[in-house]
Amino acid sequence: MNSKNQNRFIPPNMCQEHKNIGNPSHFEGTEQEKTTAHAVDGTFAQYTQGMKFFDPHVHMTSRTTDDYQALADAGVVALIEPAFWLGQPRTGLASFKDYFASLVGWERFRSSQFGIKHYCTIGLNSREANHEALAEQVMEILPLFLQKEGVVGVGEIGFDDQTAAEEKYYRAQLELAKEMNLPVQVHTPHRDKKKGTERSMAIALEHGIAPNMVIIDHNNEETVKSVLDQGFYAAFTIYPFTKMGNERMVEIVKQYGPERIMVNSAADWGISDPLAIPKTAALMKIKEVPDEHIRLVTYQNALDAFAQSGQIQESDFINGLEIDQTQKFNGNTVLRGGQAPRVNKDSLIIR
Amino acid sequence: MKTNIQIAETIAAYATEAESNWIAKQKALNGKALALAFVKVPRFISKALIEVGNFKDWTLDQVVRVDLLTQLDEANVDLLYETAEMQEAVALTRSLPYLTNPEIFLLRATDAVRSNIGPVFDAIAFGNTYPKDYFSKAAWNQLVLKCIFNDKAIHQIIGLDERANQDLANTLSDFAHERWSAGRRVPSQVWRLVPKFMNESLHADIEKLAQSENPRDVQAANLVKQEVQNPGSTQGLWHELEKPEPIYTA
Repeated sequence: MNSKNQNRFIPPNMCQEHKNIGNPSHFEGTEQEKTTAHAVDGTFAQYTQGMKFFDPHVHMTSRTTDDYQALADAGVVALIEPAFWLGQPRTGLASFKDYFASLVGWERFRSSQFGIKHYCTIGLNSREANHEALAEQVMEILPLFLQKEGVVGVGEIGFDDQTAAEEKYYRAQLELAKEMNLPVQVHTPHRDKKKGTERSMAIALEHGIAPNMVIIDHNNEETVKSVLDQGFYAAFTIYPFTKMGNERMVEIVKQYGPERIMVNSAADWGISDPLAIPKTAALMKIKEVPDEHIRLVTYQNALDAFAQSGQIQESDFINGLEIDQTQKFNGNTVLRGGQAPRVNKDSLIIR
Repeated sequence: MKTNIQIAETIAAYATEAESNWIAKQKALNGKALALAFVKVPRFISKALIEVGNFKDWTLDQVVRVDLLTQLDEANVDLLYETAEMQEAVALTRSLPYLTNPEIFLLRATDAVRSNIGPVFDAIAFGNTYPKDYFSKAAWNQLVLKCIFNDKAIHQIIGLDERANQDLANTLSDFAHERWSAGRRVPSQVWRLVPKFMNESLHADIEKLAQSENPRDVQAANLVKQEVQNPGSTQGLWHELEKPEPIYTA
């Protein structure tokens, strides 16, 4: 990809990153498409009017209320926050317990204030699986959290370094998922990705987990075919520099079609973009991907995959968050989802 | 025990046969297994809205959860508190008055007042007899003030008139002055807390309120004056002012 091919959907040094990691862009857009892309930069929302989105992987704990407001404005109606590591290792069980409790407590409420339905997956992430003494204790408390309302899977689990300890706890958590009939959200490694992905799938099959109950995450052009061929869901993370760009994503949807493919942002504490799904949908629209295909990969497939947990009802969020009866007392509604006072971000005056 | 009968009657009236069978099985458990049953309730029990009786405005899953909690040991109640999902935290908080030794959970109740999670705060503040029966004066005043601060309608607090006190009236006056300095107001019905405790400062506040351009404030000022002259004569008359007045969004 040379500099002439750059458009402003991605930061310029992304292309350099591509060069460095030997992973060329698959963007083969026409001159006309490139011109359009330039023209819509910043106003992509005009292409996604009326669309609703489901982000099946976003770490809202690491994000601000500005992001929640932007997500709501962009049409994101529901999301899944997988349990992961917080940028540095935890040193005790209580930190894990409080983190899991915050995913089903405080973060769930924070999201509801913006009218976005918040689900989560709970699991021991691969990096911290290497801390075996603590990992054993975490395994003890996982069943309690996995059975909670709105917990839609075991995740994100899998391999990072591909160590023996990682494999041990990946297997143990697959057994938990099987026992509780929950979908599994599998993180695939940044390094040695192809082998790590194959290994993750083989182990899941070995444990007798149906491939349609497994969402293999952070795919790219090199992993997608095998994942789909074996019957797994293939998730793609649109994340600057280290994962997928959305131009490449459009090409994948064009090539493989929409079946069992889903897009997520995996936005977290790193340089990431919580609007990755609406932006990708806009780009797909510009590049003439059929509307129904856009809907499937940015909404419906994620919903179908995780609804297998029995913990997601589309009616709970599709027309705005229902007023929960438990939030009504003496006939008065004291809190409605999505009714947090709005702040005009452009205003100099703060009242 | 009376509570258990009320719970049993409510469940009998609203649960399906399958739900009743599931509940019976869980009630045979104890310890951690019973705590897990509490967690699993929404997987087996509907959220049917209870329309009559002591548990009016509760949902069936909440009534079933209180039923399980009444026979759960303290250590496991603590475990549930520490790991609570949002709806669990609401159910735990609404259940407090029905537990065997409610007084030992005072810190859980005051923590619910400290909660930033709206539904959890509401579960202790509104329609719950626990604060009226167990809170110290300081804790009670904190609850009422936090409601006012967050623009929540205070008439939903059980025991509001019964536990009104001079300190609360004085603090309310201070709070109103802060709001007025900022060009804001307080919801009109909060002035119902002051008639029994009038002093110079509060008299001045009520006079100021009577001059307000907001007809609801004028009405509140008139009600306070009437109550001061004829104690007991305004009961029921505050009804018109009993609604949320979200001042930041209005």
